Amino acid sequence: MTNNRVYTSPRAVKEALGEQQYIASDEIATTVYLCQQLGKPLLTEGPAGVGKTELAKAIAGATGRELIRLQCYEGLDETKALYEWEYAKQLLYTQLLRDKLQETLANTHSLAEAADRLAAEEDVFFSMRFLLQRPLLKAILSEKPTVLLIDEIDRADAEFEAFLLEVLSDFQVSVPELGTLAAVHRPLVVLTSNNTRELSEALKRRCLYLFIGYPSLEQELAVVRLKVPELSPKLARQAVELVQRLRDLDLRKSPSISETLDWARSLVALNAKQLDEETLETTLNVLLKHESDLQKVRRRMQVSSRGVDIEDDDLSQFRWRD
Amino acid sequence: MEDRMLKFIAALRAGGVRISLAESADAFQAVDHMGVQERELFRLSLRTTLVKDANSLPIFDELFPLFFDSGDQPPMMDITEDMSPEEAQMLAQALRMFSEQLRRMMEKLLRGEQLSQQELEQLGQMVGLNRMNDMRYREWMARRMMRALRFDEVREALRELMQLLAQMGMSKERLEQMRQLIQANQQAIQEQLSQFAGQRIAENMSEERPDQGIDELLDRPFGALSDRDMDRLRKEVSRLANRLRSRIALRQKRAKSGQLDAKATLRANLKHGGVPMEIKHRDHRLKPKLVVICDISTSMRHCSELMLSLVYALQDLVTKTHAFAFIDHLEYITPDFVGQEAKDAISQVLVRMPPGSYNTDLGYSLDNFARNYLDTLDSRTTFIMVGDARNNYHDPRLDLFSMMARRCRRTIWLNPEPPMLWGTGDSDMLEYARYCDDVIVAATLGELTQAIDHLLTAS
Repeated sequence: MTNNRVYTSPRAVKEALGEQQYIASDEIATTVYLCQQLGKPLLTEGPAGVGKTELAKAIAGATGRELIRLQCYEGLDETKALYEWEYAKQLLYTQLLRDKLQETLANTHSLAEAADRLAAEEDVFFSMRFLLQRPLLKAILSEKPTVLLIDEIDRADAEFEAFLLEVLSDFQVSVPELGTLAAVHRPLVVLTSNNTRELSEALKRRCLYLFIGYPSLEQELAVVRLKVPELSPKLARQAVELVQRLRDLDLRKSPSISETLDWARSLVALNAKQLDEETLETTLNVLLKHESDLQKVRRRMQVSSRGVDIEDDDLSQFRWRD
Repeated sequence: MEDRMLKFIAALRAGGVRISLAESADAFQAVDHMGVQERELFRLSLRTTLVKDANSLPIFDELFPLFFDSGDQPPMMDITEDMSPEEAQMLAQALRMFSEQLRRMMEKLLRGEQLSQQELEQLGQMVGLNRMNDMRYREWMARRMMRALRFDEVREALRELMQLLAQMGMSKERLEQMRQLIQANQQAIQEQLSQFAGQRIAENMSEERPDQGIDELLDRPFGALSDRDMDRLRKEVSRLANRLRSRIALRQKRAKSGQLDAKATLRANLKHGGVPMEIKHRDHRLKPKLVVICDISTSMRHCSELMLSLVYALQDLVTKTHAFAFIDHLEYITPDFVGQEAKDAISQVLVRMPPGSYNTDLGYSLDNFARNYLDTLDSRTTFIMVGDARNNYHDPRLDLFSMMARRCRRTIWLNPEPPMLWGTGDSDMLEYARYCDDVIVAATLGELTQAIDHLLTAS
C-alpha cells in the first residue's frame, strides 16, 4: 500500500521528495527522516519563500498521506483550529424533529419526567454529527494517516502556541460533551515559522529544528531547471546568478526561490533570449516587491554584452562581513 | 563517544545555546538511529536535535569540528627531503650561525615537523589558555602562542638564512621554492596553534559548570556585574519578556469577554431565528500606549543596556510604544528596534550615542521632546522615565516635566539609584518625583521585572 510509507534512510527520503519535484539537501532529508523515526514534529524556519510550505506538501505527496493545513494568524483560537459545535444545524434539527420530540414527550406526566427524557436524547445533539471539525481535530480523527501542516505558527498568539503544545505532545483532544478523542494515527506534523516572533522554548523543545536558508547557486539552478524546464540552460544560469547577487544587496525584501521561479516563468512567457536591458526593465518587478528596492537595483545595475553587473552595496557588504 | 557528546553539549551550553534535558535525550536517540559512522549524518542528527534557533547555528558549526574531527593536523612538507648532498651541507652550515633555540625552530619549519603535544601544552600554559572559556579568544590565544614561540625572530632568522644560502651559492629558483615551502609550513603551524587553542577552549567550556544561581544575579546591583553576568542577564531579560508577553496576552483575552454587545448578538443570531446561540461581547481589548525615555549617559551606562533590552521587550509587548534615549539630547530610537535583534539594535543605539563625561542634560532633552514628540503623549499613554535624574546642575525643566505628566494617564519613574542618594549632589530626583504617579527603585533585574510587571498589571 502506498499509505503510510516509511523510509529506511535519509537517501530514500531524498529520492522520494525528488519524485515530488522537491529538491532536498542532505540536511533536509536527514531531518525529515529523523522526524519520522523519532515521531517528532518538524519545526522549520527561514526567510519567506524558500520552500518551507512546499516541503510539507512534498512530504505528504511522498508518503501518500493527506495534507491538512492550518494557517495561523493573529487571534486564531481553539474554535477555529480544533472544533466547534454547529449550533445552527442543531437548531434546525430540533425544529425538524419537533414532531418526533413531541412523540417522545407525549405521555410524560411531569415536567421533571419530560426533562429526564429529553436529557436521555441529548446525546443525539452533542455527537460527532454536529461537531464541526477544524484542521487539528481532522488530523487527529482522520482514518488515514495524515500530514498536518501548521503554517506560520509565529503569527499565532503565544496562548495558542501553548494550547498547541498539549495537542502536539499527546495527539488527543478532550471535548467536554464527548470525552477524550485520541489520534487513530499520529499525524506527521510540520510547523513553519518566518521568525517574526520568538517561539517559546517549550514548543521548540518538542520539535526537531530545520533552518532552510537561501539555496546555493547550484541548488537554485537545479530547482529552476526542474520546475521551468522550458527556460534555456544558459539563460537560467544567468537569471539565477543575478538573483543570487541581488540577495547580497541590502534590500527590504530579498527575492526568494518562489520569486526566482516566477521570474523564470515570465522570461519563458516573454520568450526572452537574453537578459538585456529591456527584458530586465519589464520583468524586474517580478523579483522585487518594493519600489525602493527596484530603484536601488536599477541605479546599481549595468547591463552590458557580457551580462548584468551589479555594483557592490558597500554598506551591506560591511554588514555581512561583520 | 557518549562521553564526547556530553562534553560537546556542555560546551554548547557554555556557548549560550539553550539545550534542555529532553533535547539532549533526543540527540542520543537520533544518533542511535543514525549511527556515528557517517560523519555528515551524525553532524546533522546533532544539529537538528540540539539547536532550535538560527542564531545558535554558527556556534554549533564552530564547536562541532573541534569535538568530533579526528584531529586532522594541517599538512607540512619536508623541504630537506629532495635536497642534493651539497645543498644539504650548505644548509647545515648556514644553520650553525644561529643560536640553539632559533635553530631548533627553524629546523622544525624546514623539516615540516609539527609541534608535539607536549610543546603545545607548554605553550598553552604559558599564555594562560587554560583559563579561557570563550571562543572569541581563540585567535588571540593562537597569536599569543606564536609570540611565545618567538615567531617574529624565527621569521627574521629565516630571511637571514636565505641571504646566507644565496651567498653560499644556492640557486635562485631553489631559494624561491624553499621560501614558499617555509611559508606554507609557517601557515600550517599557525593553523595547528589555532586548532589547539580552539579545542582547548572548547574543552574548558564543556567543563564549566552550567549557569547557576541566576536568582543570585537577579539581586545583584547592575553596577557589580561582569561581562559574563551581563550575557546571562540579557538572556534572562528576554526570557522574562516572553513570560510577560504571555501574561499580557491572557489578560487582554480575558478583557475581551467583557460587556454584552446586544446589537452584535442580535445580528449574529438572525440565522438562528433570533435565538441567542452566539453571544457577542464588546471588544474590550486594552490598547495601552507607552512612551519610554531612557537615560544612557555615563552614570547609567552600566545598566542602560539592560534597560534598553527591556524597552525592546516592551516594544514587542505593546504595539504602540515610542522609545527615546538621551544623553545631552534626545533621540527617537523606536526605528532602531524595528526588524532587528535586540542585541544588534541596542549596540546600534549605544554606538550612535557614545557617552562623554558629565554631559547629561535631562532638561534639554525634555525640551527636545516637548518640541518634537509631544503628540505621542495623550490620555491613554503610560509615560516611563528610566534614569537616575542626575542632571549636572542643568535646569531640570520641571515645568516641562509636569506638563508632560499632566498630559498622560500615568507617569512612572524607574531609578536604579537607592533612595537615600536621591537629592544629593546633582540629583533632581526628589523634585521630579513630585509629578510622578509612581517612583520605582530598580537596581537589580529582579526589581526591574517586578516593576514592569506591576506597571503592566496596573495599566
